[in-house]
Amino acid sequence: MESIHPTSPKSNHTLSSIFSGKVQFSGKSGEFFGIWSVNILLSIITLGIYSAWAKVRTYRYFYGHTRIDGHSFDYLATPIQILKGRILAVIVFLIYTILSSLAPAIGLLFAIGFLFLLPWIINQGLRFNMRMTRHRNVRFAFSGNYGDAFINFVLLPIASVFTLHLLLPYVLKRIDQYMHENISYGNKPLTVNLQGERYYIAALITLGVAIGGLVIFGFFAGASALTIDNLNTQNFSLSTIVVPLLIAALYIAFLTLVGAVYHSLIRNHIFNNSEFTEVATFDSNLKAIDYAILLFTNVLAIIFTLGLAYPWAKVRRAKLLASVTEVTIYSGVLSLIDVAQNEQSSFAEEAANVFDIDISLT
Amino acid sequence: MSNYPIFGCYYYPNSSQHIKSYAHLSHEQITLVDSENTALLASTIDDCQLDSPLPGMASELIFANGGRFIPQDVEFRWPLSLKKHGLSERLEKNKVLIVASVLLIPLLLWLILYRLIPSAAVYSVNLAPTSTIETMGEHTLSVIEKVALEPSQLSTKKQTQIQQQWRLMLNSLNLDSAKFRLSFYQSDYFSANAFALPNGRVVVTDELVELLKNEPDALRAILLHEIGHVQHHHSIRLAAQAAASTVVFAVIFGDLEGILEVVLGSGSSFLQQAFSRDMEQEADEYAIKNLLKLGYSNHDFADAIEALENNLKAQEATLDDTWLKYLSTHPSSQKRIEYARQYKPL
Repeated sequence: MESIHPTSPKSNHTLSSIFSGKVQFSGKSGEFFGIWSVNILLSIITLGIYSAWAKVRTYRYFYGHTRIDGHSFDYLATPIQILKGRILAVIVFLIYTILSSLAPAIGLLFAIGFLFLLPWIINQGLRFNMRMTRHRNVRFAFSGNYGDAFINFVLLPIASVFTLHLLLPYVLKRIDQYMHENISYGNKPLTVNLQGERYYIAALITLGVAIGGLVIFGFFAGASALTIDNLNTQNFSLSTIVVPLLIAALYIAFLTLVGAVYHSLIRNHIFNNSEFTEVATFDSNLKAIDYAILLFTNVLAIIFTLGLAYPWAKVRRAKLLASVTEVTIYSGVLSLIDVAQNEQSSFAEEAANVFDIDISLT
Repeated sequence: MSNYPIFGCYYYPNSSQHIKSYAHLSHEQITLVDSENTALLASTIDDCQLDSPLPGMASELIFANGGRFIPQDVEFRWPLSLKKHGLSERLEKNKVLIVASVLLIPLLLWLILYRLIPSAAVYSVNLAPTSTIETMGEHTLSVIEKVALEPSQLSTKKQTQIQQQWRLMLNSLNLDSAKFRLSFYQSDYFSANAFALPNGRVVVTDELVELLKNEPDALRAILLHEIGHVQHHHSIRLAAQAAASTVVFAVIFGDLEGILEVVLGSGSSFLQQAFSRDMEQEADEYAIKNLLKLGYSNHDFADAIEALENNLKAQEATLDDTWLKYLSTHPSSQKRIEYARQYKPL
């Protein structure tokens, strides 16, 4: 304590890195294609019941093929656990749909109730996903509480609307901070230090790309509107099918591009500013252009193969993300203890899926 | 069977510690040794657990104490694995089944979405009590009223005249006049149009009455078309189908990443449009059949569609947006007109 010398060089000595290198992803699209297609077929034949097994097998495949220092990740959820949550989620969804179509007023009530339920669903979903993730025989955990989640996912986004969305990058930073700083690996919490200004810069860059994209999109849309008129006289039914599809494709391309730019900037920032102290540090070097091209070609491939390219696209994305992520492991990893955890219901995770709430981490 | 040791990695229970080790397998016993051949662990096979194997992934052995042994060779499969244990993996690696599933999945999805769900939706109609359908219809009307409808500007005389025609028609078709109610509204949004609510209320816009003021028979044809929607329970069936297909998509395809949901989402909205086109056809048929039954002509219906079509074409120059919207949910007007003109009662 009385030392007046800077401590950083010294602490580097006590902390020896035992591994430094890229994340490896060894999944193969051919192999996953078999798993994917057969699992969908089995899910249909069993009227959806096998879908719980399909989910677990897909997750196990992707987790198991993701390796750091030769050690893979494990997905621990059991199919029965997923099935129970899924059945409950579908029942809740059907009740919601029936009630809200019977009386739109009840639908409105649901929307308000949903705002209060959302933080709980997000917390439970993250908790479930983290608890079901293991690396080196040590599980992850998520410890966010309802109050913080309510502020970050409900109050701040609503407040942001009243600032003409000027607050939005700050809100997104708060959300990412919340989602990551509550993660722990064994008994070691993740230290996350995100900077608001980086979110504003990312938002400005994304906005710039979006405006540029809109100009190009507007040009194409204008051009295709002209072709409507040209085709109308000769082949009227063809143009009514082709043109909306073309516009939809352009729209998807545009969303992909804008999404990729933002995600790559933010992913790099989060990884570079998070660490499990004395256990692991991360470095992400995802180039926006690479990611945008990959996602865009993925979407094109999936559309033009009528979905058959999905396994290839998913594997390809995992490969790219792994290849740009470097992890340094320190000796502290050897003394981690797997904290005992309770059984966990998958309901929230499944409800998030059916109600289309995105709670994925970057 | 495995007399040679299996090389792999042993993870100690509840800790991040691991050690490179060899597993020796003999009869009912598994022994783990480290590289110096010092025994780490011994266990009977019955006390170990195996995860269901996956193609391309090592098959890990879980000991009773929570420790795990993962073989280096991803292709290695424990000889003790029960027959049924590897069934999923064998199916996933079966080339014939993979090809079959590529062909069968679209076929089965088509069957479920276009055959199974629509026919199940027909039965679901009987499950909804009349009182619920009544509140459902009135609630929906009050929402649409707020958003897109204004009080009718039609003269009382005109309204009574049409109401009389309406009641006469209901009587001759033996339809319940307490259920089938006709309301008039002015609407810039709907323009010349009519729609039916599931409880039997039919809404006609002033603009439509104005458009068909010289063709009362054409207006009757349109009213019959709307009654057809109610009689076939179209709105309830459509709602039931939408909910069911959402569940089917969510369950079968699971959580797809962002953009793919957009792709799949537009796919399912195409599906809904296809259904509503089929339903329009059904309502057309109902209208034409009953026109003939009442002693009117099937050409009345064709005239009505023609009038609507001409009206839309006139607006097209200023509002090409609504024109596209109309085309997308209705079968081609030309087809409908032809169908009506050439209709032959069976």
